[in-house]
Amino acid sequence: MSCDGMKILLSGLIDGELDAGQKKSAESHIVFCGGCREEYARLLKLKEVTDDMKYFDLPDKLWAGYWQGIYRRIERGIGWFLLSLGAAVIIAFGAWRFLNDFILDPRISVFLKIGVGALLSGLIILLVSIIRERLFIRKHDRYDEVEI
Amino acid sequence: MNGYPLKIIGLANRTKMRISSGETEPDDSALVAWAAKGRVDSFKILVSRYRNQAYFFARGMVGNSEDAYDLSQEAFIRVHRHLKRYDPAYSFKSWFFHILSNLCKNHLRHKKVRARHTTSLETAPIIADASEKQPDIAYQRSEIQQKVWEAIGELPDNFREIIILSHFQEMSYEQMARVLGIPTGSVMSRLYYARRKLREILEKRGVSL
Repeated sequence: MSCDGMKILLSGLIDGELDAGQKKSAESHIVFCGGCREEYARLLKLKEVTDDMKYFDLPDKLWAGYWQGIYRRIERGIGWFLLSLGAAVIIAFGAWRFLNDFILDPRISVFLKIGVGALLSGLIILLVSIIRERLFIRKHDRYDEVEI
Repeated sequence: MNGYPLKIIGLANRTKMRISSGETEPDDSALVAWAAKGRVDSFKILVSRYRNQAYFFARGMVGNSEDAYDLSQEAFIRVHRHLKRYDPAYSFKSWFFHILSNLCKNHLRHKKVRARHTTSLETAPIIADASEKQPDIAYQRSEIQQKVWEAIGELPDNFREIIILSHFQEMSYEQMARVLGIPTGSVMSRLYYARRKLREILEKRGVSL
């Protein structure tokens, strides 16, 4: 194996991740190859420095708020799901009743049906447009990074 | 936990956990299984078990505390949402960090001007091994460690990610392969090139390793 390939194995060697064959091959290589031996020593040194570095524990006060934040968002997620489900059922029922009791009712004037249909369509288009615009602004706000 | 409406399992099941009685703490898979059945207290234990690692992983990735705090919380929320998808054949830790890592990368993609530079402005979220008896050596080490942390902040995203997973999350290659979605062999080579790059940056800062 070339020294370049061997250096990758040496990285695995310091992590104790080589199988028996790879380990034997890497260990015997550094015996006679000075460059790879030096690389091995440097990799070990880096590992030694980072091994002494540990995350410190944040104050308990911060973690109390942390769980509260997660819990609230989980709870809110369930709330939103139920709200959306309820809204979908009500809208579907309303649409079905609107179709049967209004659009398909021969006693109601066609002009009124067209008027109400246009009004509702206009409201839906406006609503979708506003939601889309809000979402677009949230994603592409160029001043998002500006600190006030 | 009292007062949380999501807690739906009765006291009878609580005896299964027996944490307060001093017996062995339940493993992650058991906690996930209970949490998937609606036990918020089990999920809270998972959160306390991984919150510190999650927060500092995210901080290393995105470069500032506020985003790291939010992203690590978001990862737990995503995990909670998909608890039933968890495959107990693999470690919870790799699954969790896979989600968190994707969130961090997604965050960096959207931010574009990432907080990479702020990593160096914040002190390393790391302390040296307190066992060092000689103060001058401890100080020297701490200075080097600060520089190592700053240098990690300058690495490209994929290198920074693998260095943090390997050196600070202490993950095996197999776990890292699952987090990163790459073969184990690629973990070994990427980690080597990341270490080499880290050394190059450190050399520019006057630290020879």
